[in-house]
Amino acid sequence: MILSSMLQYDFMQHGFLAGTFVAIMCGAIGVFVIARGVSFIAHTFSEIGFSGAAFAMYTGMDPLNGMLLFTCCSALAIGQLGLKIFRKDIVISVVLSVCLGLGLLFLSLSSKQANAVSSLLFGTVLGISTVDVWKTAFLSTAVLCILFLGYRMLAFDSFDPVGARAAGLPVRFISMAFLLLLAVATAEAIQIVGALLVFTLMTIPASIAQNLTHSVWRMILLSSLIAVAGVWAGLVLGFYTNAPVSFFITIVEGGLYFASLGWSAMRERMRPPELAPSSASLNEAA
Amino acid sequence: MGCEIAVEHLNVHLGGEWVLRDLSFNVKPGEFLGIIGPNGAGKTTLLRTMLGMLKPESGSITFQGKDAGTAASPVFGYAPQIRQMDADIPLRAWDFVSFGLRRRFPPWLSRQDHRIIKEAMLATDSYEFAGKPVGKLSGGERQRLFIAQTLVGNPQVLLLDEPTSNLDPGAQENVASIVHLLNQERGIGALFVTHDVNLIARHAHRILYLTRGQYAIGTVKQVLQSSVLSRLYEAPVEVLNIGSKIVVIASADSTRTPICFHGDCSQEVVGQ
Repeated sequence: MILSSMLQYDFMQHGFLAGTFVAIMCGAIGVFVIARGVSFIAHTFSEIGFSGAAFAMYTGMDPLNGMLLFTCCSALAIGQLGLKIFRKDIVISVVLSVCLGLGLLFLSLSSKQANAVSSLLFGTVLGISTVDVWKTAFLSTAVLCILFLGYRMLAFDSFDPVGARAAGLPVRFISMAFLLLLAVATAEAIQIVGALLVFTLMTIPASIAQNLTHSVWRMILLSSLIAVAGVWAGLVLGFYTNAPVSFFITIVEGGLYFASLGWSAMRERMRPPELAPSSASLNEAA
Repeated sequence: MGCEIAVEHLNVHLGGEWVLRDLSFNVKPGEFLGIIGPNGAGKTTLLRTMLGMLKPESGSITFQGKDAGTAASPVFGYAPQIRQMDADIPLRAWDFVSFGLRRRFPPWLSRQDHRIIKEAMLATDSYEFAGKPVGKLSGGERQRLFIAQTLVGNPQVLLLDEPTSNLDPGAQENVASIVHLLNQERGIGALFVTHDVNLIARHAHRILYLTRGQYAIGTVKQVLQSSVLSRLYEAPVEVLNIGSKIVVIASADSTRTPICFHGDCSQEVVGQ
């Protein structure tokens, strides 16, 4: 009943569709973001995406195209600096600074400022057009398919980089491909939760999943489900209140994270089952 | 099983210094070769050159025989020396071992994959902790897991770079015994880098003793002699046989010679 009353509106249908696709994709890729320790790069891409959207606004392009242009170019630039260098924070900071500076310039040149900046920073899940839904669905499916096809190599390189190198995997290619996937995923996620809150979908569900399971497949599945749950809860709560959808998404995901931390800590403190008495102690007792 | 490896006149330099000079030796199919030497002697460099990760200045490494490496059974399986594992790494031991499978597609594990992983874990005594997170395992358990991961790739020769470093004596013996069993029962060759000559003497067919720019290869008795080691270190070195233990010490007047540490001398003596 509640659902049907919400879904009679096109903007809610679009929000649910685009949000679900982005959540599944972010949940899946987030597991590898956490494993590779590149959440700072994900955050960097989100801010670079913001600059790309500002550029798109200035030139009259579609914001998603602008975000994709900037994030993918940055992924290539950061990746080209080399496998050993791209994980160094200072290089990323330099690329980020330059892109944010450009974003500021494009915003100052553009006439539509206040509302546009706000929607870029905090997301526009309820303002997504039909075309954007299709674009989001296509890109999310493409990212998920590539993750699926390259799963074994990506998982090996993400969880055991030394072993992957020793086994002769093309680690440089894997890193570059992953950066590009991350760039696309981030540009999409910005539409839902905004540039400042991309962390919400990219890292929190995966962090929750890793507190609950140690199987990579189960982590991906759980992470995607938790991300979808957060987006759906955000959309429903946002529909019935005046508060922004992104706010509810962050609150739900944050709450689930702290609950998972508590569960993890409780499990650590649980007393192991009593051991059967050893033969030595039996002899002593005799 | 496998092929013969011929290393001929190998010269490798790193960072402006010659690490390996005119190194030549053969490894027979199914041979267990211990590699010993002080830090910086070029043990890891040798393994990396054999794997093709480093390009030698001159010399060659050739594989002779009809089974000279195929996609299904590559010549080498390498377990590197430094492999830091975060205590919080959210990964089961089973998944960690599965990464070593040669097949990269499909993403899920087939029945055959499950069988291969189980066999490798059973062979390395690691199946009992297959469901445990890797970060919670002890040093010895992790080393067995690294060998299992290498093993699922079905290599002809295991290249193990200091798999016993930072382990207690019991765990060291356990790891070496597992490699010995794999060598004896499955005919898998092994190049086993270690600093403990007493450990390797119990398991290896021959040892390759490397120092910077020098080497000697042969059985433990042939290599572990004062004359041979004095030549390798270019300084007087004494080799003492105390019971079944071998102790290598620099002579009193050449304490600055950085000889390979082969166990605590006092402990070796006390242990008799």
